[in-house]
Amino acid sequence: MVLFGKIVLGVVGTAVAGVGLLCSEGLVEVKVEERQPQVHHLCVIAPAMLAPIAVHFAPQKDLSHAAAEIRPWMPTIRAALDQLRENDDMTLGQVKEPGERVRVAKEGGSIVVEVEDKDDTVHVSTPIRAISSTIEQLAAAGPAL
Amino acid sequence: MRKRLCGIGMICVLAGMVATAPAAMAGPTERYLHVKVEDASKGESVNVNVPLSMAEKILPTINKGDMHNGHVKIGHADMDDVDIRALLDAVRTAPDNEFITVKEKDQDVRVAKSNGNLVVHVRDGNKGGQKVDITVPMKVVDALLSTAKDNELDVSAAIKALSDAGDSLLVTVEDASQHVRIWVDSKGGQE
Repeated sequence: MVLFGKIVLGVVGTAVAGVGLLCSEGLVEVKVEERQPQVHHLCVIAPAMLAPIAVHFAPQKDLSHAAAEIRPWMPTIRAALDQLRENDDMTLGQVKEPGERVRVAKEGGSIVVEVEDKDDTVHVSTPIRAISSTIEQLAAAGPAL
Repeated sequence: MRKRLCGIGMICVLAGMVATAPAAMAGPTERYLHVKVEDASKGESVNVNVPLSMAEKILPTINKGDMHNGHVKIGHADMDDVDIRALLDAVRTAPDNEFITVKEKDQDVRVAKSNGNLVVHVRDGNKGGQKVDITVPMKVVDALLSTAKDNELDVSAAIKALSDAGDSLLVTVEDASQHVRIWVDSKGGQE
């Protein structure tokens, strides 16, 4: 009985540690609300850590091209993300047209993009830490310079 | 009695120090550059808010074209052989005055230096009564010219000077349907 308890505790402990590790970079949240022709709600919440991991599985040929494009801009991207992390919550940009609205904001430790038109509303929230590590992975993916 | 008064005095001084410490320890207030473009005829609007500290950190990292380490190269060829640096330096050292005044039937242009600002007003009756007002603190002009090289302007230093200059309305452009505003303040949003 004691042995069984230890095994259960071990399994639960490992699961909790695994979930904790997976969620250490925060969560990516995608919400889609369709209003026409029928009302649909879709909400996907995924650990942000999956994004940098997914970069490892992308085709090397495509990654090399992306890496070559992004590398010269890495100091600028790093500076921008570091500053964004330190800044207070704010709307960075907003475009409004009749029936349409796009908003990019910093909320908490995440970058939030909201797109709204007469048919749909899409809300994507991505932790800045996850954006940073994904871009770093992407830049490191190509052949060494 | 004297000791007691001395004690009360010390407590007051300490209380004052404790009360003012957070304000003294708080970092400088963040300032934001706001751009707002509204087109009433189409019902469109664009708002952009940039923390100046972010611009200050990003600019020196951009090394492309004429931009490097927060400095921008200015070629005489691009400016029809007008020495923009010499022009700005002349304005900087001149006393408050009206430099240019042009009055025509439908147009009114005025360039002046007033209260530590470089001020440009344009009124154009031909373009639907377009009005342009530009106010640039001279400290920003000083900062632009702070680089040692003749063919460069220090944009990074100008952003820093803009951040230190306080709340200011930099540019407004108005015509029959469009309204553009560029300003600096310490509010993260535009509402």
